[in-house]
Amino acid sequence: MSDSSLELRNVTRRFKDMVALDALNLEVGAGELVALLGPSGCGKTTALRIVAGLDRADEGQVMLKGRDINGLPAHKRNMGMVFQAYSLFPNMTAAENVAFGLQMRKVSKNKRRDTAHELLELVGLPTHAHRYTHQLSGGQQQRVALARALAIQPEVLLLDEPLSALDAKVRTNLREEIRRLQLSLGTTTIFVTHDQEEAMAVSDRVAVMNKGRIEQIASPDVLYNSPATDFVAGFVGSMNRIRATKTGDSLFVIGRTVGASKIGPNIEGPVTALVRHESVRVKPDAKSDIVILTRSFLGPVSRITSQLPDGALVHSMMSSAESASLRPGDRVKLELLESELLFQKAE
Amino acid sequence: MFAKLKNLPLGIVLFISGVFVLLPLGSAAEFSLRQPASNDHGLNNYLWIFEQPEFAHYIGISIALASVASLILLVLLVPTVVWLNLKGQKLRPFVDFITLMPLVIPVVALAIGAQNSLPEFAQTNQFILSFLYAVLAMPYAYRTLDTGLKAIPLKTISEAARGLGANWFVAIFRVITPVIRGTVLSALFMSLALSFGEYTVTSLLHWDTFTTWVTVISQQNVMGAIALSVFSLLAIFIFLLLVGLLAKPATSQALKEEE
Repeated sequence: MSDSSLELRNVTRRFKDMVALDALNLEVGAGELVALLGPSGCGKTTALRIVAGLDRADEGQVMLKGRDINGLPAHKRNMGMVFQAYSLFPNMTAAENVAFGLQMRKVSKNKRRDTAHELLELVGLPTHAHRYTHQLSGGQQQRVALARALAIQPEVLLLDEPLSALDAKVRTNLREEIRRLQLSLGTTTIFVTHDQEEAMAVSDRVAVMNKGRIEQIASPDVLYNSPATDFVAGFVGSMNRIRATKTGDSLFVIGRTVGASKIGPNIEGPVTALVRHESVRVKPDAKSDIVILTRSFLGPVSRITSQLPDGALVHSMMSSAESASLRPGDRVKLELLESELLFQKAE
Repeated sequence: MFAKLKNLPLGIVLFISGVFVLLPLGSAAEFSLRQPASNDHGLNNYLWIFEQPEFAHYIGISIALASVASLILLVLLVPTVVWLNLKGQKLRPFVDFITLMPLVIPVVALAIGAQNSLPEFAQTNQFILSFLYAVLAMPYAYRTLDTGLKAIPLKTISEAARGLGANWFVAIFRVITPVIRGTVLSALFMSLALSFGEYTVTSLLHWDTFTTWVTVISQQNVMGAIALSVFSLLAIFIFLLLVGLLAKPATSQALKEEE
């Protein structure tokens, strides 16, 4: 990517014996939003902190618009950061918090005040300018923190799990707002999260991290439909793992033979079929020896758990309307969506 | 009724403590107001204090010394305790130990040590007392600041400040210190009060301050000396009250503006 705004080259970070980042390479294009997604301890926050200058890399380079910024202290990097924990200065009002970065840049008082109000309006809090932190809800505090990070017109906006402390509804609203703002301002952004749905919903590209390395970086669609590794396949989306046998491009699974040509090692014989919950359709079949154990109503969709004759459980996600007649104890057959089928060597 | 009974033990404890503290104070105040000549009560003893020509001089010296001592202590301790909480966890036992020393070493030993080891130019300047007062107040100020800093998300706040363009100096003195304003004021008050009332080191190093002057003057007029003690207590109480008011977050005005 020639127009990359930010680039991490072979960045390595060790904490005593543990390797937090293992020669990590990442390029983020100008105006792009890239999510770093991975389980706890995969190194995603460490990578973000190294970009912000709050931590140092043991090896490797951090390049900003082609310039090596490794030696630049945090306060000279012009990065806007929103933290997981509430980070507003409690002795300042919302407006003063937003204006703080501008004050550090010696912007005039009037301009600071105008920008702060403009940004608070942008994040939907025009009437909260004079409120202190303890007078704001968690969601409002994160909005102010976002406005504060954007006020300095950052080179890169760094979001470190900014929504994880919020309740579900606020989280969904705010993530959409973050994306809307990011697109309208064109700010290059890195979004760290462990929530795959969040990462998929807001990003241009998602980098799935594991053990200090990026397993795959791709658009949410590509990542979901064509995972490059078993880890990505298992981490992104909800997967059933079902014992199966592979012969050529065919897979013998749940008593049926289906086509299987997607990812997985070039192997024959016993394999584990990876089937997404939404790729399993449950249909009534009185002759079948597969039985529904539970059906959970989740609004537009329902989650059905069926038990195979060997005791293994298979989860499926179907529209609530389609699955309305299904009840626990019903005998059913399971149909797999062949185009969505993945497999890996049996463990 | 039940709620009232539940608070009864607390009430009894507060009452006993109140009597224990307030009774001697009240008695001292009453005694200081006695006017034996006219056999009634009045402010004569208090007026006598202000009539003393050295009163303003010594109180001025003591305030100056205590202020410098407090300033030294805060400038030294705030960055140190911030650093300890952010990055210096390994050194914490060592710093804890060092800051306990002034409580362990007898004040006489400190004074004699200072007299023997300090260079002459330092010994001839009364402000050397401020440095010694700072040492004596360190155990209390250090622990107060440490507790205050532990109560806030120090790491996130300092990183947020640095990310927004504040260097360490600005982050500590313009962001972190105002956040722990109450704690800083408590530490400040403690060191001011301790420095203001310090007697042993001052006397052993042959300097005169308000406390040594009070000791001398009390030999001339016992009732005046009691009035002086009550006056000092009241002054400290008012000072505490001011600290408490200053430490309150200034939210009401901001809300009024919005309304």
